[in-house]
Amino acid sequence: MLTVQNVTKTFSTPGGQVNALKDISFTVKTGEFVSIIGKSGSGKSTLLSILGALDNPTSGTITIDDASVTELSGAQQTKYRASKIGFVFQQYNLIPNLTALENVMLALEFGGYPATSRKDRAIQLLDSVGIEADQQLRRPTRLSGGQQQRVSIARALANSPSFILADEPTGNLDSATGKKIFDLLHDLSRSEKTTVIVVTHDLEIAGKTDKTFTLRDGKITTK
Amino acid sequence: MNVVTRGIKNAARSPLKSGAIVLMFAISIALILSMLVARGSVLSKIDEVKATAGTSVTIQPAGIMGTMGGGDPLTSEQVSKITETEHVSSVSATLTDQLGTDDTDLESSLELGSFGQRQQRFETSSNTPTAPGSDTEVATEMADRPAPTPRTTVTGTTDANSVSTDGSDLSITSGAIIDGSSSELVALIGSDLAEKNSLAVGDTFTAYGSTITVKGIYETGNAFQDSGVIMPLATVQSLTEQEGAVNTVTATIDSSDNVTATVAALKTSLGDDADITSDIERATSSVESLQSIADLAFAGVIGASIAGAIIILLSMIMVVRERRREIGVIKAIGGTNGTVTAQFTIEGLALTITGAVLGLILGVIVSGPMTTSLVSSSDTTTATTQTQGRRSPGGMGGFGGAVQGGVSQINTNLTQVTASLTPQVFLSAMGITLLIAILGSAIPAWLTARIRPAEVLRSE
Repeated sequence: MLTVQNVTKTFSTPGGQVNALKDISFTVKTGEFVSIIGKSGSGKSTLLSILGALDNPTSGTITIDDASVTELSGAQQTKYRASKIGFVFQQYNLIPNLTALENVMLALEFGGYPATSRKDRAIQLLDSVGIEADQQLRRPTRLSGGQQQRVSIARALANSPSFILADEPTGNLDSATGKKIFDLLHDLSRSEKTTVIVVTHDLEIAGKTDKTFTLRDGKITTK
Repeated sequence: MNVVTRGIKNAARSPLKSGAIVLMFAISIALILSMLVARGSVLSKIDEVKATAGTSVTIQPAGIMGTMGGGDPLTSEQVSKITETEHVSSVSATLTDQLGTDDTDLESSLELGSFGQRQQRFETSSNTPTAPGSDTEVATEMADRPAPTPRTTVTGTTDANSVSTDGSDLSITSGAIIDGSSSELVALIGSDLAEKNSLAVGDTFTAYGSTITVKGIYETGNAFQDSGVIMPLATVQSLTEQEGAVNTVTATIDSSDNVTATVAALKTSLGDDADITSDIERATSSVESLQSIADLAFAGVIGASIAGAIIILLSMIMVVRERRREIGVIKAIGGTNGTVTAQFTIEGLALTITGAVLGLILGVIVSGPMTTSLVSSSDTTTATTQTQGRRSPGGMGGFGGAVQGGVSQINTNLTQVTASLTPQVFLSAMGITLLIAILGSAIPAWLTARIRPAEVLRSE
């Protein structure tokens, strides 16, 4: 269970204080597929960063299964990200000089997966997202956008995380490929019982999720 | 793939960029090594010249050299000051005089020749005043002048070996050396003078109205020295009625490092009464051009080190800035600051070590010719200066001689100053390289630690 309680995030800018998130509270059950929608600048990515322990809220708490994420130290947050969170980015963000296989193995290394079985686990993950054997040995630049996003999802799944946080995962893909990626995430949430939180502005995608939160001017509403 | 493999793989990620960084760094390392080698070689040569020069200091009364010049000889008080000066380990004193036909029954073994005649052209036997400029002045002077005769040089010394011309002990062909500290009426006779006067050990001759006994006969191979007489200093001072007078003191300094300070101390204590020269000072001035090369080489070491450090510094800053997003992603998926820092440090080290190895190899190859080139250009400058100074206005004879002399000097120095890559020099170069490598690798560590993944990913 993820509980977000009275979370506020304020940024200091040359133009003054900007309240990106204003007193946000919501809960997500384990295994739910949730979407967060909102216009550009509404605070979606900021919320995702705070949920993923990439950033700390100005105030408020985030609790996962009775453990407070906001009270973790820097090193504990890194460990939390490595073992509990899987990130999927709009730009894929694969390491360009590593092959698809090595990108997944990198996440396994950070998660403390045994070195001897990393390769087997990475191959299994890539197979599960539909990356074929010859594609697994290619660098990201030699893969299509859809294939790169599949590798990115395999990387996010590497350490069997409790949450997958996906920031506009279909934003750079054509609609057909985007649908396939969405279906992949949906299937994973069902088969792996992984909680998936997707930030999107695609209302069609949002309509297929278990729950949708709408962010507007830093405030949230539930649909 | 562990962090080490990733770091090394990243170093070769962009062959052109990495190659340029490695090449620039290698050139600076090669320069560092070459300059260290050049400096080491030149300093070694300077030390060698100074060591050869010895530690003796010659003190002579101002205006007097041997039996020439004019002024007052040094006194016993001044000799005491010299002896008591700090770092002066031993002193030998000499008083030189010349024996004319009125002073001795010895017949000089030297031929007067045109040189000797010219030296005696001012002397007259008459002190009769003559009106300057009168018609009879020149005629009278010529008529009164005696037939010139060669003279015999007598040297009174506390150390008879100091008369030796090659720095070693005096070669005694018969008899024994005299005690320089005595005041006996004894003498050593040069081999030519002994032969001319048919003198053997135990024979006597007259000088300054006293009978002197020949205690030994010496031979130096120098015609002037072998025509002289050596007696104890006190004996000559007494016979010539110059008690305590000395016209050359040779002081030996305890270490070559103390010569300059001791010369300065002697100049202070003796003031304008004495002219002081030291072999090592002469040697120092002769190696001044080499010292300037050593200084130039040292400046080169510093310059190349700074250049190398800046190359690595800027390169790594560029690498880290280019890969900010990648660093952010690595941190986002669970990479710790330590992991990221280690990866970039290894990347920096891989570049610096590759550059260092290449640079050291390059340095070994070019250090010899570079040192030779530095010395050669310095000598060419010297030769040119000498050439211009010696050129005779009337023809090419002086010019040709000067060029020949200059080329000969270059060859001598090139033979003497050879590029020597000692283990110490190599270790110094390695040490500087390591310092630059650590500095160059510490920078990405500091930069990557400052990157916050949320900020990098927010800019997406």
